[in-house]
Amino acid sequence: MMHDQDIGFQRSLSVPALASWEILSVVTSVLIAEWIAAATVGINKLVIAIPVTLAFVFMILSHREHRESLKDLGFRLDNFVAAMLMLLPPMVVSTLVFLVVGGLSGSGIHPLRWSISRPLVVQLSLGALWGLTQQYVLQAFINRRTMLVVGRGWVSILIVAAIFAGLHLPNVWLAVITFAGGVIWATVYQRTPNLFALAVSHSLMTWVVISTAPPSALHHLRIGFSYFG
Amino acid sequence: MQQPSSRLIHLLLAKSILEALLITAVAVAFYFATTNPYVRGWLDRVDGQSVSGWVVDESNASARVEVQLFIDGMFVGDKPAADFRPDVHAANRADDDWHGFVFNTPSLQAGEHEACAYAVHAARGGRRQTLQLIGKPLRFRVPAGTNDR
Repeated sequence: MMHDQDIGFQRSLSVPALASWEILSVVTSVLIAEWIAAATVGINKLVIAIPVTLAFVFMILSHREHRESLKDLGFRLDNFVAAMLMLLPPMVVSTLVFLVVGGLSGSGIHPLRWSISRPLVVQLSLGALWGLTQQYVLQAFINRRTMLVVGRGWVSILIVAAIFAGLHLPNVWLAVITFAGGVIWATVYQRTPNLFALAVSHSLMTWVVISTAPPSALHHLRIGFSYFG
Repeated sequence: MQQPSSRLIHLLLAKSILEALLITAVAVAFYFATTNPYVRGWLDRVDGQSVSGWVVDESNASARVEVQLFIDGMFVGDKPAADFRPDVHAANRADDDWHGFVFNTPSLQAGEHEACAYAVHAARGGRRQTLQLIGKPLRFRVPAGTNDR
């Protein structure tokens, strides 16, 4: 049963306004985890889990409210090859650029730099899982909600990429790289939504970047408050 | 376009409230983990010869608080505040007369300088140490010709 005040709420908030609020809410949770909770790591590591859990619970409930299926979100295999084919050209170009950067910077190209203790296959698999998590938040939630606000196209793609880059501050070089990656992944997702393909791409490109870019520029991929630690 | 449900709005409000509570709890926990609210003290006098003051931990007034001195942001030295200061006791700020500290001012270039004294606060069994400013930073001048000590 709907109350009068609920109807008033709905009339005062449009779909784009509510979608903006949803984006802001999830971004805020990530920022709390990166900046505020990370500052308390010496006290209790579990503090970081609280905003992250809140964000994931909210996103899952939000999908239910928007009646989005797993297939809508991109958890599907039917368009995996099509998405990989779209991702391939920018991945090849980016890899060539980073190989040149690695060669010119003097830091060299070290394919095993990502992890000394784990075999590369295991590290790439873990990277794909972490990539799937990030791409789920970035594409299946932020990108989809951004499309509700400004529609499909370059504006929403640039907003998604800017949010992705902003969440990697104050690591400036990583923010620049993730902005470029955010543009590519958001573009592919809007045309061919497949989170598994994006996760594979995310993991492979992370490997390329870590193997080629100067470690001093990447600052151990640290972001948020941990950047200063 | 489909109207958003009020349940989603309630979810957003609930999440915002929980996060505000989390931030408040983190701020309070962080304050108590890094600060001893019972430390009282003052930096009384600074010149080219010495730096003196007093400090008491009112939660454990018989203990001697460790003090670190910095001049122009550079560490000078540390010692327990255990020098004779009967005036602090007389003012009912301590249980005994031994809560003062005096450092010899190191050799400095002529000109303006700033001294800061900090109480060392050890938390979590001494694994985390933080510095709490005692009183206010004091500026002082070293005249030319006095830096040959």
